Amino acid sequence: MATNQGVNRPPLEGVAPGELRSEEMILNMGPQHPSTHGVLRLVLTLEGETVVDCTPVIGYLHRGIEKILENRTVMAGIRYMDNADYLSPMLNETAYVGAVEQLMGIEPPRRAQYIRLITNELQRIASHLVAIGTYLLDLGAFTPILWTFRDREGILSLFEALGGSRFNVNYMRVGGVLHDFPKGWLQQCEAWCNQFEKNLQELETLITGNEIFEARTQGVGYVDPQQAIAYGLTGPMLRASGVNWDLRVNRPYMAYREVKVNPQVRQEGDCYARYRVRMQEMAESLRLVRVAMDQLPGGPISTRTPIALRPPRGETYFAIESSKGELGIYFISNGSEYPWRAKIRGPSFVNLQILPELLRGHKMSDVVAILGSLDIVLGEVDR
Amino acid sequence: MSGGVVLAEVWWEQLLHGILSWEFLQFVVAFVSIFGFVLTSAVILILAERKVMAWMQDRYGPLHTGPWGLLQTVADVGKLLLKEDIHAGKIDKAVFILAPSVFLAPVIASFAVLPFSPYISLPGGPLATGIVYLIAMSSLDVVGVVMAGWGSNNKYALIGGLRSAAQMISYELPLVLSLVSIVMLTSILLDNGLGTIAIKDIMNLQMAQSWPGKGNPVWDFIFEGFTPWAWFILVQPLLLLIYYTCGLAETNRSPFDLPEAESELVAGYLTEYSGMRWALFYLGEYGNMTIVSAITAMLFLGGWSGPGVAFLTAPGMAIGWQVLGNLLALFYFILKIYLLCGVFIWVRTTLPRLRADQLMQFAWLILIPTTLVNIVLTGALYLVLNALGASNLVFLIVLGVVNWLMLFGFFWVVSRATTASTRRAVAPAIRARQRLAALTTTPVAPQLPEPERAGVTGAAGGGR
Repeated sequence: MATNQGVNRPPLEGVAPGELRSEEMILNMGPQHPSTHGVLRLVLTLEGETVVDCTPVIGYLHRGIEKILENRTVMAGIRYMDNADYLSPMLNETAYVGAVEQLMGIEPPRRAQYIRLITNELQRIASHLVAIGTYLLDLGAFTPILWTFRDREGILSLFEALGGSRFNVNYMRVGGVLHDFPKGWLQQCEAWCNQFEKNLQELETLITGNEIFEARTQGVGYVDPQQAIAYGLTGPMLRASGVNWDLRVNRPYMAYREVKVNPQVRQEGDCYARYRVRMQEMAESLRLVRVAMDQLPGGPISTRTPIALRPPRGETYFAIESSKGELGIYFISNGSEYPWRAKIRGPSFVNLQILPELLRGHKMSDVVAILGSLDIVLGEVDR
Repeated sequence: MSGGVVLAEVWWEQLLHGILSWEFLQFVVAFVSIFGFVLTSAVILILAERKVMAWMQDRYGPLHTGPWGLLQTVADVGKLLLKEDIHAGKIDKAVFILAPSVFLAPVIASFAVLPFSPYISLPGGPLATGIVYLIAMSSLDVVGVVMAGWGSNNKYALIGGLRSAAQMISYELPLVLSLVSIVMLTSILLDNGLGTIAIKDIMNLQMAQSWPGKGNPVWDFIFEGFTPWAWFILVQPLLLLIYYTCGLAETNRSPFDLPEAESELVAGYLTEYSGMRWALFYLGEYGNMTIVSAITAMLFLGGWSGPGVAFLTAPGMAIGWQVLGNLLALFYFILKIYLLCGVFIWVRTTLPRLRADQLMQFAWLILIPTTLVNIVLTGALYLVLNALGASNLVFLIVLGVVNWLMLFGFFWVVSRATTASTRRAVAPAIRARQRLAALTTTPVAPQLPEPERAGVTGAAGGGR
């Protein structure tokens, strides 16, 4: 911390002996730190307040979900997918059952597809709400997180009415969904949508024009479009860098083949653009929920699939546009009730890879600003 | 000991004389009442902060301890007093233990010169150099913070302590400079031509001697000593804003709470503290808030002045009315302080935190030049108008108009600065877009052939 007299190190170039000089400091940020979004550990090398280098250390939340999936039947595995990205369980389940359906060649009934779309878009809103709330909390604004959690609470109540559980919903099934909408659910959802439209506007007023927020985020953590593609970024991270890639549009699956999505793209590539993309995506998801509720077809909600499901021998990769990017399941079956392998391609894990690159040269305060804008969930990074 | 006391021969007799004197009793009462006020005020402010923030954020805040959670902070203080005093290993023990006291002592000392009402003021109340004393005390705080940061032997605490040293010293300058113009005003308004830095005199200058309906008892009751059109906020609104902003930075409150930024530095210089030592820092912070608000109230908002105070405390009124008048003054003064503290809380719920370098830029590149320009402008305006033979009233009106214009100019400059930095910030994005446009084959957004998008039947995933 002071001069390093007596420390056996070669003198710095250009520094005369006896002259005051500074030393790099290694700061261990996490795994118990308020704003590393879980149990991420960052080993930062600081020169004053400037970050010289950063080494992310992951694995503190490893629960072996992929291994657990191999030891559960296909139907029992759905529930474990909830815990991978614990902020968007509906999307995880959809990816998993989608992979199994693709392997078995099952097409779920249209109503089930629409129900999946509605729940997925609600889940996307919920996930983005947490992302934006915690991001602003990282930047030191205390109010947005409470407002966003208030709205998210409405979504969780809707899920509770649907699946019996707020968080780990366990709602998707191979070939359809668990229950049809209970009585009055659609009205409740409509009321929530109307309320949320106002609240989103309010949130926008609170955050978007704020000069301190703009000064903190604009130009910080800039990702080049080519760099974004090279690192394999997906989701809002990629679209904020000006690359128009959204699996719901470019590889449409399920009801997205009928309900058209307007992908939200921004060109700036910085933290502010990522925030704006998430805000715009929430508005877009809200529109999709309404469209899907209008077009909601009748009919069965599930194909008749046995509980003891035996997918045929083979392998498949199925990816959906999760709230954080491309969530893919690489599914190998050997014909038994148990998956032989289920590999999760978590968008958080891939998006996290660019962090050291982004942090270099920024100030210590920007570490949380950049990390928050990546919107990682350590449950999905470590699995 | 005052000069009137006959000094005894032996030292312990002297000491005894001193301890038994009225002055000593007065000192003890003053100290106890200041400490009581700081403590009570902090407890009330913490509760108010939690409740007001809760209302702004759509939640309830503390509910269960006492009616509407009113006793929550009292219970918290009890808990903190009983908590174990934890010392982490390898701390610099003396520095670590002393730091909270060093932080709190100047805060309590500053209260000595605050006049709470025409008669209720502590022994230091009539101090002729009140403002200088307050500024001196408020700049001593930083020592405690740096000591805490260094003594904790924790990297987060060290960064927090150094940040706060830089921040508090930088913001001290515009804070002082913003008060200079007020002192310049007093030299013009006072007959002696010298001006004053005594707080009570500055407050008296904000009480005009004439008001509409003078002579009518009702109007006299309301307006005697309560003339909001003579408050310095109307003449120097920009300085009020700058002083208050610097006050936010001096007290380490949001959006300048970098030294204890919980999302970056865990708790900054407070990281290793717990129990009552931690609470002393909090006490100091809320005491500081009260001081900053009190100075703002006294220098810009007329201090204790309010309807009925000067009327009731005028010489010749019965003692009962005098007491009532003083209590009213106390009420108005504390009301103004708490309203200004409410602005602190409001700001905290609204704004995110600045970055360290932006914080410094704001102080050195915007606040200090603005205050310097204001000082020069105030003096120049007076010289010009005086040479033209205009009266003080004309000068004040012109200065007020100029200052209000400067206030809007200030907003314009700040927003321009933000826009400029924004343009600089998004420059790489623009360059990248141009580079991408120049490339002919880009991997961006490959469009799939239409048939696959049209949703033909197939597996759920849209085929492989």
